[in-house]
Amino acid sequence: MQQRRVIDQVETNRVLLNGQLDTPKWWLPTVIGLGIAVIIGFVIIGFMVNRGLGVTGLSRPVYWGLFITTFVFWVGISHAGIMISAILRLTQAEWRRPVTRAAELLTVFSLLTALIFPLIHAGRPWRIAYWILPYDFARGIFPNIRSPLIMDPVAISTYLTGSTLFLYVALLPDLGNLRDRTEGWQKALYTMLALGWRGNPRQWKLQTVGGILLSALMLPIFVSVHSIVSWDFAVTPAVEGWHSTIFAPYFVIGAVHSGVSAVVTMMALMRWLWKWDDFIRPEHFDALARLLIVVATAWLGFTFLELVFALYTLDAPEIALRELQIFSWPWNMMFIVFLMTGYVIPVGMWLFKSVRNNIALMFWTSLFVNIGMWLERFMIIVPGLSRRTPFVYTWDSYRPSMVEWSILVWSICWVTFLMLLFSRFFPLVPLFEQKESQVFVDKIKIGRAEVPAILREQE
Amino acid sequence: MADRSILGMFQEAEPAADAMDGLARAGFEPGTFDVLTGTPYPEGAFGEYVPQHRLFRFPAFGAIIGFTTSILLTAGTQIAFPLVTGGKPILSLFAMVIIMYEMTMLSAVIATVIGIIFESRLPNMNPGAYDERITEGWIGVVISVDTTRAQEAESVLKTAGALEIKHAS
Amino acid sequence: MTMATNSAVSGHAAGDQEHASHGQEIAGHVILAPSAVKDKLVGTTEAGATRFRKWAIILTVLAAIGLLGLVLKYLQSSDDQTKWGYTAAVAAFLLTIGGGAPLVAVAPVLAKANWVRPLTRLASAFSLVGVVTMIVMIPLVAILPPLITEGARRRSIWFESPDWTPHIFIFLAMGTLLMAGLGLFYTTALPDFAAMRDHSTGRRQRWGKMLARGWVGTTVQWRTLRMRIGMFGTFYFLMLIYVHFLFTSDFAMGVVPGWRDAIFPMYHAMSSIQGGIAVTIIAAWAGRRYLGLEDYLRLDQFWSLGRLLFASSLLWIYFFFSAFIVFWYGRSMADIAWVDLFIRGPMIWAFIPAMFMSFLVPWWWLIWNRIRTSVNGPAIGAAIVLIGLLLDRIRIYVSSWAVPPDEIHDKYLKHIPGTVWPDVFDYMIIVGSIGASALIVMLAFRLVPIVSIWQTQEYQLLSKPVKYIRGHGVLVAKPD
Repeated sequence: MQQRRVIDQVETNRVLLNGQLDTPKWWLPTVIGLGIAVIIGFVIIGFMVNRGLGVTGLSRPVYWGLFITTFVFWVGISHAGIMISAILRLTQAEWRRPVTRAAELLTVFSLLTALIFPLIHAGRPWRIAYWILPYDFARGIFPNIRSPLIMDPVAISTYLTGSTLFLYVALLPDLGNLRDRTEGWQKALYTMLALGWRGNPRQWKLQTVGGILLSALMLPIFVSVHSIVSWDFAVTPAVEGWHSTIFAPYFVIGAVHSGVSAVVTMMALMRWLWKWDDFIRPEHFDALARLLIVVATAWLGFTFLELVFALYTLDAPEIALRELQIFSWPWNMMFIVFLMTGYVIPVGMWLFKSVRNNIALMFWTSLFVNIGMWLERFMIIVPGLSRRTPFVYTWDSYRPSMVEWSILVWSICWVTFLMLLFSRFFPLVPLFEQKESQVFVDKIKIGRAEVPAILREQE
Repeated sequence: MADRSILGMFQEAEPAADAMDGLARAGFEPGTFDVLTGTPYPEGAFGEYVPQHRLFRFPAFGAIIGFTTSILLTAGTQIAFPLVTGGKPILSLFAMVIIMYEMTMLSAVIATVIGIIFESRLPNMNPGAYDERITEGWIGVVISVDTTRAQEAESVLKTAGALEIKHAS
Repeated sequence: MTMATNSAVSGHAAGDQEHASHGQEIAGHVILAPSAVKDKLVGTTEAGATRFRKWAIILTVLAAIGLLGLVLKYLQSSDDQTKWGYTAAVAAFLLTIGGGAPLVAVAPVLAKANWVRPLTRLASAFSLVGVVTMIVMIPLVAILPPLITEGARRRSIWFESPDWTPHIFIFLAMGTLLMAGLGLFYTTALPDFAAMRDHSTGRRQRWGKMLARGWVGTTVQWRTLRMRIGMFGTFYFLMLIYVHFLFTSDFAMGVVPGWRDAIFPMYHAMSSIQGGIAVTIIAAWAGRRYLGLEDYLRLDQFWSLGRLLFASSLLWIYFFFSAFIVFWYGRSMADIAWVDLFIRGPMIWAFIPAMFMSFLVPWWWLIWNRIRTSVNGPAIGAAIVLIGLLLDRIRIYVSSWAVPPDEIHDKYLKHIPGTVWPDVFDYMIIVGSIGASALIVMLAFRLVPIVSIWQTQEYQLLSKPVKYIRGHGVLVAKPD
């Protein structure tokens, strides 16, 4: 914990606002490149909507494939934000400070992306309004709220709205800062967005209390979102492997695993791209990796329970499904890759302090986790559907088409594109939290030793 | 008797706190003077007037609104369109609870955010005297006084060691 | 030996706080001199001798009644599984609270929370309850059906293992958990045994000398101690999850045909943490009240525990609902049977108050900051939670054991059994085992102080009241 150096506020502003005030040279070409990829992606989506879902690999009996997998994947990534900013804020973990904004941002953009997948998966996206929105007063037809497919959009839009507002409120002091550092139209924009922020004790107190209150409110939403996504699957007894009581917490802990890993990936990129070495330090990676070891192990425990209690039933179809998932080609290959990249390789490496403090290794291991976690979702969703069941006479194994793969790649480009666009106008590291940390962090001298300490206000 | 906003700028916290003490001693009413910082300081660090807020009422109010709306929406739409699905009762409490929960929480969050902004007294169209260096680590002590006492306030700030004085109406 | 060696920070104890007098309060932070801490806490092992004796006699009598009840019940109904639901519920309840409490001593320490230091002794002492749990489990293990019954293998997590596997393994696991708990308790108490050796008299001094095993507080000893606490803590946590996994699958799920519930072990383990927090609060409340430890078990401790209890009550409903909604939606025969057996069925009289007392009441009670920032508020909440958890265990285990053993191979439960009310032996076992658990914990605190001396001193070292410009605060150190 001795890696920090005292940085004054002028220096903090200069370095952390470099994205807005002194845009790096790589930014424009990268954004243009990603923008082109995003446009191509939209064209492919348009093509699919025009031609119909026949251009995908979806066919009887596998109707939920890569799109739903990717939807669950992005909802999972979105659990980064609240995990980092709410839980760590409530537990007063000091090392959360540089990553809260980026994590919240990841939440917002990945949720936006996640929402697109069920929409395009429906084939005719505009028709979704009929079964989600309770608007059809003229005909008296209303959505079926007993369906988890209704609960899902309700939960996700709640989470998206809440996260966006949370992000904005925590951005206010930094908008005030940007207002003070810019000129012309930018100043006008930031002045408007900062709402006249001045930084008096009342405003700071409301920031602190409001942050804690919002964290406490967002936390139950965060838990509910992936639980409800899991109930899309778990409430149906018709598909083996889906009807399990453990799904809700299993999905949530898996989401935290993938979300926090994505934050690690992003932190490494932020450190490299914007050269924020003084702010995003190895100690932050170390702390996140320790957290991830616990989360990943808990997640593995849930995976184990899910598997054991599936076999426990001694039901032939259930056992046959597990045989398919684990022992039959190509699922066995996927299973091995999933286990190795989702747990064995990253956690095995994170046990070593030298790895936890090595930014490049943390970058690659955190990427591994998300490969594994995407595969996990794929292996939960597809095998249960593709297994041969009684009274189904047409079946085919599922092979995602190029259209589906392209849309998966598009989603990654799209999230990155949005993040980079945001970074041009708003700081990715909360400046006021950094400065607050400088005020609140101190040392206690005990004998000859100096122990890092934090100032706590009296209750 | 127009109000004037006077800002004293300090580079260190200690003289800024002296200025706050000085203003209190000079008999300026608490709440008319304030300290402006670029980062949160521990509460009471400048001996400032600690403002009361009613933020906690907002989420409670929001939750009540959300909960009521959600009951009406979930129960109302199902009664209006009573289609039995999955062998479940028309008014399935356990399914309704999930939607009610989400809407209650959403409403509470929105109300909280409104509360934070409202209780922070934002948007603030007429912020008074301000200096851009506050977000660079300087500390501002700002006082809102009528013109008759402006001189006195300014001298308190100067005595405490203000490096610069700014005015706004 | 000086008190300096009794601190965690390798001999450099007194530091800035040598000037402090006993109980001096600065800005809401109490400064206690190391010697005063030692005198007061060593004194607690002898305090209130008359009251202690009175309670010890009462609890011993209760324990004897419980043991008698257990023996008589075994003699009378060893051949009838359906009569043992309440005994299973009591064993589960003891595992729930006694198993969970030591985690309160472990988890916050690993997360570097300083407030927990005065509570670690209290919390880890509850691992001793494992002795009572194991005694209560003896007849249950004897009655548990073998893996192969009526010529066919019953559903269990043991699959193809030999017939006696669950019976042996649950005892082995419980024993290991008990050992890990005792290891944690003993390791954290080592420096305090040394304090007893150096500063008490008679029997306590002799015990202290024997148990301190030459502790003098060298740098190496402190380092080893910290490492051991980390190891025992982690191992205890893993063992606890494992024991809950075995206990729930063998003593509940395994005896109900068609009950497949992957979240149930986690639900059980999670409510064990909830129960552990609750019982720690009750013990801290009693310690503060009857041993005059107002300066040691302070509002900060109750406030923090109150928040944890609140959070764990929310987790209770989350885990419960996660399972419930899947069964309620599922509507396969096994799903319907689950709802009929555990919710609407014979034990609805236990389910409804359990729901209220494990979740609704503590939630609505502890949501108020004013309640949490008091001593009595969290204690009342904790008492309610404990009753709620006992009723919840009764709901689960009495319903499960009421299923006739001849239905064990069915695909799902076809006949929902009727309500089973406790008989006189059940009452004896419930009262006796809870009494015995209280007794065993009380006895431990005659041997070693209820609040850890060295951790209190470390707590004092690591937090320091400071003046910040015009305000006051406390600097809280977070050693690496």
